[in-house]
Amino acid sequence: MFDAIDKKLLKAVADLEGIPKGAYNIRKNGKLLGREISANIIIETNEAGTGIVVRINPGTLNESVHIPVIVSQAGLHDVVYNTFIIGAGSDVTIVAGCGIHCGGSKSQGHEGIHEFQVEKGARVKYVEKHVAMGEGKGKRALNPTTKVFLAEDAYAEMELSQLGGVDQAERVNMVELSAGSSLLITERVMTDGAQTAVSRNEIILAGDNSRANMISRSVIRGDSKQDFYATMDARAKCFGHIECDAILMGNGSNETVPSLKAKHSDAELTHEASIGKIADEQLMKLMSLGLTYDEAVNRIIQGFLK
Amino acid sequence: MLEIKDIVFSVPDLDAPEKGAQKTIIDGVSYTFEQGKFYAITGPNGSGKTTLAKLIMGIYDVTSGSIFLEGKDITQLGVTERARAGIAYSFQHPARFKGTTFRDLLSIAAGTEDVDKLAKIVARVGICSLDFLDKPVDSRLSGGEIKKVELATTIARNPRVAIYDEPDTGIDLWTIDPMVRLLKREQETQGTTTIVVSHNRAFLSAADTLLLIKGGRIAYAGDLDGAAELLKDLSACGYGDICEGESDVRCHR
Repeated sequence: MFDAIDKKLLKAVADLEGIPKGAYNIRKNGKLLGREISANIIIETNEAGTGIVVRINPGTLNESVHIPVIVSQAGLHDVVYNTFIIGAGSDVTIVAGCGIHCGGSKSQGHEGIHEFQVEKGARVKYVEKHVAMGEGKGKRALNPTTKVFLAEDAYAEMELSQLGGVDQAERVNMVELSAGSSLLITERVMTDGAQTAVSRNEIILAGDNSRANMISRSVIRGDSKQDFYATMDARAKCFGHIECDAILMGNGSNETVPSLKAKHSDAELTHEASIGKIADEQLMKLMSLGLTYDEAVNRIIQGFLK
Repeated sequence: MLEIKDIVFSVPDLDAPEKGAQKTIIDGVSYTFEQGKFYAITGPNGSGKTTLAKLIMGIYDVTSGSIFLEGKDITQLGVTERARAGIAYSFQHPARFKGTTFRDLLSIAAGTEDVDKLAKIVARVGICSLDFLDKPVDSRLSGGEIKKVELATTIARNPRVAIYDEPDTGIDLWTIDPMVRLLKREQETQGTTTIVVSHNRAFLSAADTLLLIKGGRIAYAGDLDGAAELLKDLSACGYGDICEGESDVRCHR
């Protein structure tokens, strides 16, 4: 079912050595490669045939769904629309991710447009890794859009990472929180060479006692460029925090714009942002423990992106 | 064991009217630290105590003079090489890291990720519980907690020479005596040559030898009793020449 490149990509984006346990949907070069459903998790192709609908039955506990995407065909730009309906009271993990292998000079890309409806009291952890590899010179682009609607007392944790090889990324995350719901987004992006990555985040705290925390960690190597925009739009008594840190390693650039909008008098919004090189005192500490300068840099970056 | 010979450390004097003027921070210091002894370095603010400690670790390069560790000239070695040669350093204001945990630092310091070995070090330091291992060493740690982390990573090196710069900064009064006992125990059981930069009487009393630094030179080397008269002078404010009266926050240190 999988060739050597598929296996390498699946390992990189979903930590998969072979067929995953539980429900899965594997898409390769715009086509379905394999699908498995479980008693509680139903996966169907959507009506337009442009993606899948994943339905998690209410009360489903401790189950996972893997939905990796492989793009290895030269010149292919794959666009997919996926919908996730997370039933009330369930607690599940969804592992997505896209691996591009570029062997030629034509550009390749993937746009995953994901919509989550997290029903009352449900908890979902969404893990998304983006990786690109291969010897080809073609541009590798990944432009994900994720929209999340959190019903009352729902919880979503989103772990989004792009740790190498992607030439161009434009990410959009939009989340709307109802009363009592919580959101944690952790985004980690590393760029190098002439790569560019933009992350736009729009978080609407619509319900009372909703809480959102957005953490972004960027490492900008070479001449690459990363921009980060995040808005917390508070429309109720709520709590929101944005923490965005960028480390500049070479001659790259970064624009970080956290934005807080309080449209309710009981809104509590905070942010902390930093851009800079690795602090000398951190390097000196690790060197005083016996690491070389380069080893110290690597350890600090590893920890930062962990 | 550790010998410093005629070391001088000068920096550009930015306040001087003439260009290119130098300011001497350490002014020709020579001293031999003996194997397994406990030394306390004290002196007024700005006298050069921390600078001397950083010159030994290689954090600053000497302007002139030499440093020998067990007979080997280490003057030209960088921080990494001196660390590998057996010198460890506890910073007065330890670095904080986003995402790096106490376990990460301890593993680097001890050269092992083995959980049992790390647990043994934590027990040996005896200052924090095991679940502390997975705490990030970031801004959420209190001043006291981060100093304990710093101490543990220094001890985990099993150093030949351990330098502690103001180890009691941010530590509560009740923790200072256990900390002194810990450093004494390391000195006695491991034979660690211990150098503590401090103003705290608890450390000064624990030392075999007290070095009093004044104006970049060793003004006194000997036991605490012999230093009593000289130490009295130190109780006066060290900021006389820049004093702006009580509105200066440094008066309230």
